[in-house]
Amino acid sequence: MNAEAAANEENKSEKRTKPSLWKTISIIFESRVATIGMVMVAFWVIVGCISLVWTPYDPNSSDFIQNLSPNATNWLGTDHMGRDLLSRLMQGTQVILLKTRLPGGEHSIPGGVAIWGVLGSLFLGVILGLNAGYRRGWTDQIIMQVLDALIAFPQIVLYLVVIAALGQGDMVVILAITITGAPGVARLARSLALDIQTRDYIRAAETRAESAWFIMFREILPNARGPLLVDSMLRVGYAIFMIGTLGFLGIGLPPPDPDWGSMVNEARKYIFVNQLPVIWPALAISTLVIGLNLFADGLREELMRYQK
Amino acid sequence: MEIIKRKDRKDAHPYIPELKELYQKGRVTRREFLRNATLLGMSAAAAYAFISPFAPKKAMAAAMPKRGGTWKCGMSLQLIDHPARLSWTEGANVVRQVSEYLSDTGPDNITRPWLCEKWVASEDLKTWDLYIRKGVKFNDGQVMTADDVIFTMNEWLNKDVGSSMLGLLSYWGGPQNIEKVDDYHIRLHLVSPNIGVPEHLWHYPGVILPRNFEGDFIKQPVGTGPFILEEFAEGERAVLKARKDYWKMGEDGQPLPYLDKVMYISMSADAGLAAFQSGQTDVHYHPRPSDYLALKDNPMAKILTVDSSYCYPIRMRVDLPPWDDNRVRTALKLCQDRKKTLQLAAYGLGKLAIDAHISPAHPAYCEKPIPAYNPKKAKELLQAYASEKGLKLPLKVKLATKNDEAEPEIAQTLKQTALAGGFDIKLDITEAGGYWDRWTEVDLGITSWTHRSIATMVLPLAYTKESIGAWNETRWYDDEFSALLKDAEAQLDVEKRRSIMCKLEDIMQERGPIALSYWVQIMEIVNKRVHGMEAHPTHMHTTLRSTWLDG
Repeated sequence: MNAEAAANEENKSEKRTKPSLWKTISIIFESRVATIGMVMVAFWVIVGCISLVWTPYDPNSSDFIQNLSPNATNWLGTDHMGRDLLSRLMQGTQVILLKTRLPGGEHSIPGGVAIWGVLGSLFLGVILGLNAGYRRGWTDQIIMQVLDALIAFPQIVLYLVVIAALGQGDMVVILAITITGAPGVARLARSLALDIQTRDYIRAAETRAESAWFIMFREILPNARGPLLVDSMLRVGYAIFMIGTLGFLGIGLPPPDPDWGSMVNEARKYIFVNQLPVIWPALAISTLVIGLNLFADGLREELMRYQK
Repeated sequence: MEIIKRKDRKDAHPYIPELKELYQKGRVTRREFLRNATLLGMSAAAAYAFISPFAPKKAMAAAMPKRGGTWKCGMSLQLIDHPARLSWTEGANVVRQVSEYLSDTGPDNITRPWLCEKWVASEDLKTWDLYIRKGVKFNDGQVMTADDVIFTMNEWLNKDVGSSMLGLLSYWGGPQNIEKVDDYHIRLHLVSPNIGVPEHLWHYPGVILPRNFEGDFIKQPVGTGPFILEEFAEGERAVLKARKDYWKMGEDGQPLPYLDKVMYISMSADAGLAAFQSGQTDVHYHPRPSDYLALKDNPMAKILTVDSSYCYPIRMRVDLPPWDDNRVRTALKLCQDRKKTLQLAAYGLGKLAIDAHISPAHPAYCEKPIPAYNPKKAKELLQAYASEKGLKLPLKVKLATKNDEAEPEIAQTLKQTALAGGFDIKLDITEAGGYWDRWTEVDLGITSWTHRSIATMVLPLAYTKESIGAWNETRWYDDEFSALLKDAEAQLDVEKRRSIMCKLEDIMQERGPIALSYWVQIMEIVNKRVHGMEAHPTHMHTTLRSTWLDG
């Protein structure tokens, strides 16, 4: 190999290890699966953004005849309370993906309850899982025993405990998602850390006397991001289901502000009379969850390809 | 008047002639006459004979009941131990097929004698003679006598048993006031007069037990009723088989019941609907408005309806702010768009109500205009309150209820309609058990109240000083109201009782603790092969003894 070839190889290596932002984003478009997933997710994000400023009618106002089929006025029909389904479906996107209402209900922050909940569980789970997987020994024992106990605890009971202790509201739902999701993330992070810590570059880092936190977050975590990313995307879907479950128990996001899970739950009683109020939000949930999964899968494949 | 006097029976109550006169003058309705005459000891047959002496007999074309078959119903099944402790209609539906009551309040909301052959009240309504039906046997072969009835009454009044009959019958003054005159005659010496004795004897924990009952109905299912408990598994099923020696005869001259078996299968409302649609059950118990919509055009379904005093009052804790201020309570009442609520919560199936827990289904109900939706006036009242307290409108309040029947729809409708009146209502809707754990404690809530046949049964339960700590969930009481209620309990004259009810309704509307939009129309949805069954305002299955299946 001559010097020029060696320099080229070095450049390529540099490009591989430090891709530009656009290069990273463009990875998505190199995967058809990721692109389809992203389009599906983007559709709902756009719908949600539009609903922040406009919906066809007031989503909570019973202005129409109950249980109408789709028509020129109500494109998706109306629900059992005579509310416009399209407006409710649009607004339902907000609470999941776009905004979280702060206690008091007057202010909100960007990012939906499902997103913040998953980020919370990711943050907590990764810290615990990496520590357990990398440090091993007593640390591993203690962390995993506690997390196993949490996993063994029925999830609904765990939600009830959290919400009974802290009351209702978006932030409490986020905390509930965080607490219930973190053990799963921690297990995954631990198993990845156990595998990755046997690699030579970890030995090299230890030889360089890097700190444990550096190794965990700069050496192990980047190499574990693929599975964690896919898992997180899936967890957004679980979180959406969970918000609906909490709504069903009356301890989630209180009506009448719609979220898709509660919309399914409310319309369930009328499923033999009018199926559409169940179908539309169910379709919204499934398309968003499938979109997130496809996006995550495609992204992981591309990231793995680039890592080879 | 002479004719009436000639027809008087010695054992009938002295008020009955006057009641007859009122009926002839059109001052009491047919139903009110029947109800009051039977309450005062006149036999139902005599009462019916009086009001319709030339009424045609039932059409001869009516089919003769057929015997045999298993009647199935999906209904949740809770734990049953001592029948005196029954607190759910579902449990009572099982027990009442095996054991019976001294009286029987029918689907027409009229109470008639049952295990009592008749009763006679003294003129001052403080002494009641109960004549026990002779020749009635328990399903273990024992003959029922006054001893069994007195044993059962003592169980009701025993604090250790914990029966809700104890509070209801507080005016009995304790077991010492029950006198055994002979083996088939009991005399009650009440401490205060009460016209509701026969109605109270039908309160669902009030089944008559054998004198050797040991406290667990599942281990010792002994009663005088038409069925025998064959199997009971909490949360699973109850199977009852017909008794061959029941005391009441059917139309074919043989002992009732017509059915071979009755089977209750424990299931949720959704599963119950699916089971009915697929023909696996004969009855869809306690249908919700959504079930009615789903089944109304089903060719195999027959819909039975009856008016009731079943309701969903929005109740306010008057011992807590802001509900301790009558302006705020009145403002909330004005924020009800009753028509809209009835339409959204019950698809119009019910009757609009005033803000008083006295229903048109109750005797002596006093007709009042339905208050209009008036958010403007509500806002004025709230503004005055808020200015005084240094608060800003909208007034933030939390409304708790259960995700069960029509409560979520009522709550959501109120949230919409009350916004214009100055309320910002946050909804706290939990599953049913979650609400029942705290129903007496929440500041503002929607509680479902089952039907009671007379207003003087429900008002003492929830709107008196004595009921605080028990079922008075609002902590509201009013001296004038309580005094009038006592008068109503002791008032025989229907017209005078109605005038008292007028005042009671006015007080509840003016300063009472509840807002009420509508009265529920009770429905029972049955398969067309089921005959002889009627919807009962309490959802009780009172007519299974005479129910039969065709095919």
